Amino acid sequence: MNIAFAGNPNVGKTALINAIAGSKLKVGNWPGVTVEKKEAEFKYKGEKIQLVDLPGTYSLSPYTVEERITRDFIINEDPDCVINVIDSTNLERNLYLTLLLMEMEKPIVIALNIFDEFEKSGYKIDLDKFKKYLGIDVIPTVATKNKGLNELMDKAIEVAKSKKHYKEMKYSLLFDRFIENEINKLIEKLKKEKLPNKYPLRWLAIKLIEKDEYIIQILKKETEKDISSLAKEHIMVIEERFNDDTETILTEARYGIINGILKDTLKKPKNYNIPFTEKVDKIVTNKYLGLPIFLALMYIVFKLTFDGSGPFIDWVDGFINGYIGKYVSLALTGAPNWLNSLVINGIIGGVGLVLTFVPLMLFIYFFLALLEESGYMSRAAFVLDKIMHSIGLNGKSFIPMILGFGCNVPAIYATRALENEKDRKLTAVLVPFMSCGARLPIYALFTGVFFVKYQAYVVLLMYILGIAVAIVVGLLLKNTKPFETAKSPLLLELPPYRVPSAKMLFGSMWIRTKAFLRKAGSIILMAMIILWAAINLPYGSTPNNSYLAKAAKVVAPVFTPAGFNKWQAVASVLPGIIAKESVVGALGQTLGVEKKSEKKKTSFIQDTRKQIMGLIKATIDSFRNMFISFTPGIFKIESISNSTFSQKIRTVFTPLSAFSYMVFMLLFIPCIVTLAAIKQEFGWGLMFFEIGLLTIIPYIVSVIVYQGGRLLGFH
Amino acid sequence: MKLSDLREKQRAKVIKIDGSLKSLKKRLADMGFVKNQEIEIKRIAPLGDPIEISVKGYSLSLRKKEAEKIEVEKI
Repeated sequence: MNIAFAGNPNVGKTALINAIAGSKLKVGNWPGVTVEKKEAEFKYKGEKIQLVDLPGTYSLSPYTVEERITRDFIINEDPDCVINVIDSTNLERNLYLTLLLMEMEKPIVIALNIFDEFEKSGYKIDLDKFKKYLGIDVIPTVATKNKGLNELMDKAIEVAKSKKHYKEMKYSLLFDRFIENEINKLIEKLKKEKLPNKYPLRWLAIKLIEKDEYIIQILKKETEKDISSLAKEHIMVIEERFNDDTETILTEARYGIINGILKDTLKKPKNYNIPFTEKVDKIVTNKYLGLPIFLALMYIVFKLTFDGSGPFIDWVDGFINGYIGKYVSLALTGAPNWLNSLVINGIIGGVGLVLTFVPLMLFIYFFLALLEESGYMSRAAFVLDKIMHSIGLNGKSFIPMILGFGCNVPAIYATRALENEKDRKLTAVLVPFMSCGARLPIYALFTGVFFVKYQAYVVLLMYILGIAVAIVVGLLLKNTKPFETAKSPLLLELPPYRVPSAKMLFGSMWIRTKAFLRKAGSIILMAMIILWAAINLPYGSTPNNSYLAKAAKVVAPVFTPAGFNKWQAVASVLPGIIAKESVVGALGQTLGVEKKSEKKKTSFIQDTRKQIMGLIKATIDSFRNMFISFTPGIFKIESISNSTFSQKIRTVFTPLSAFSYMVFMLLFIPCIVTLAAIKQEFGWGLMFFEIGLLTIIPYIVSVIVYQGGRLLGFH
Repeated sequence: MKLSDLREKQRAKVIKIDGSLKSLKKRLADMGFVKNQEIEIKRIAPLGDPIEISVKGYSLSLRKKEAEKIEVEKI
């Protein structure tokens, strides 16, 4: 049995689905677009249920991706029942979508959600009368308290089994007689056209009268007929009579029907103005306090996320690469060396890389869900929209951008908070220009060698340069076809503040992290094996004559204008794609600096104990980082104190070419995990676009920096 | 007058929406900007744009550019 959930945004639909399907939920994207799709398969009272969460929409017009997805799904997938989740504290606007859904003539049940708040605020509804007016079943629910869920599911299954399609609209739901008359005339004409019977005729007639381009185009493709002309005379008659366009006339008529129903069934409290939300908003969106409060909250989220997850990340890294790696390597004793290296550095290294992101993902998804479900995210957008709109973005884009300074990967996933697909894409394209924490070791190395006196200023300059490049690229892209965000209007609801349920926060954190493991994991593993081959083959080669070194020697002259044409510098770029901080190690290797590694012999039990103690210590450190220290640890610069390394660096770089190299590293592809995240969220197309962009731009900018620097007399 | 000309806390009634951008007109109507609908400017964002409007019992934020398309009458 196929049950689809539809409803406005911010009505607790996600919480309801979480409460019903729980851990069975899976997240992905709707095919071909970047709109999140949640599904689940489970058994309810012996019935196999396939649950689909349709995107939150206010209407079913052809103008937004979300609305088109919802329409197409209901028409083409023919769900056995549609559950329309509505916010009972805002019936008027919510019922608008209900009427549109009912026009599609599927079995439908209403979940009157947030019913506790509704009652508490003094609303009263005559449920029996309300049901009679609509002619469908209505179940009050409180998703956050698991109330009404079983009744809802029982009713949905009952309605689905009865196959009760609402072909006969209740008299109370019909339009004005004049309009209905024209609709009926058009239906008669459509009957003769032999159209695919998945289209309810009355719905089709209404859409044609509304001049719905989208359905006209689809029908043209499906039937090779243009039936829009059939509606022409009816459109004319209606527009003449009501002196407006048909789209507006029907919209107003629907709101009129709703007002009629509510007048007779709903008693509003005398003085209802959501006092709590009002009070909070007075402060949070205040003229003087709005921005500082936003920045303070961002600082807290940033700090908790990165400092809280940091110790766990280090522990996972040690656990996989040190502990698991060590014993797998032992198990492979006797196997050829290249196989050992492939397994340890390629496969386990890849798995380890994916797993090290898990703590970070859990933390970031928790806070994102908290910001979004509490209602604050919309306020952040409200406060910042003016700044972000000037570079073609939306106020909400600010949050992924800030997170990008910690790590680009969660920042890419944070773009889900944006409503508009084009905003999401442009934000994701710009995120990698935010200098993430993994780029710091590179800055630390070079500033430590060349700019000791001005270390902090040079590093700060890198951050500013990244932002500046993002602004320029944003301005350039905002008017291009795939990103033309400037034209999309802001129609942003500021929902009442609500306390999200813990179940929903943890649920959303867990299912999204699972999706990351499943979807991004495989791409990362593949890329790791390819990179392993490039760096290590032919096997037994030194960093001096591997395929990578040979290729670097050929390519190096290309970088002459940018000032770093030594093969060692060029060869170190590629390992940086695994993780930016690897550049430092790779430079060390290609420059022939030996790593001091001491290996003490330890037993399995000692090692295991060490791992467990490590996990406990990580937990303690995480808490301490989050709540006791005040500076974000991610910005700590560790200086390199290896003097032979510094000397070798000086043989390959000058201060200016080192600066140019840092700029290149700032702007170049951040890492494969970021790319995998872009692929997971936006598909191959945008990922390859990003690879191209993040290769060309760093080249251009570092050439400008180097040549400009020479003109100014630096060397 | 235009919706964008209203000041904070002012109330008005929707007269009509400029139809030069069909999709915007339809979306605004869907969100509740229908003829004779009462609205109130709740506040203006710290940087002067967008504005928050109370319509049909909920709060919606619009940029001034879009608010210019909505003709209103002060009440």
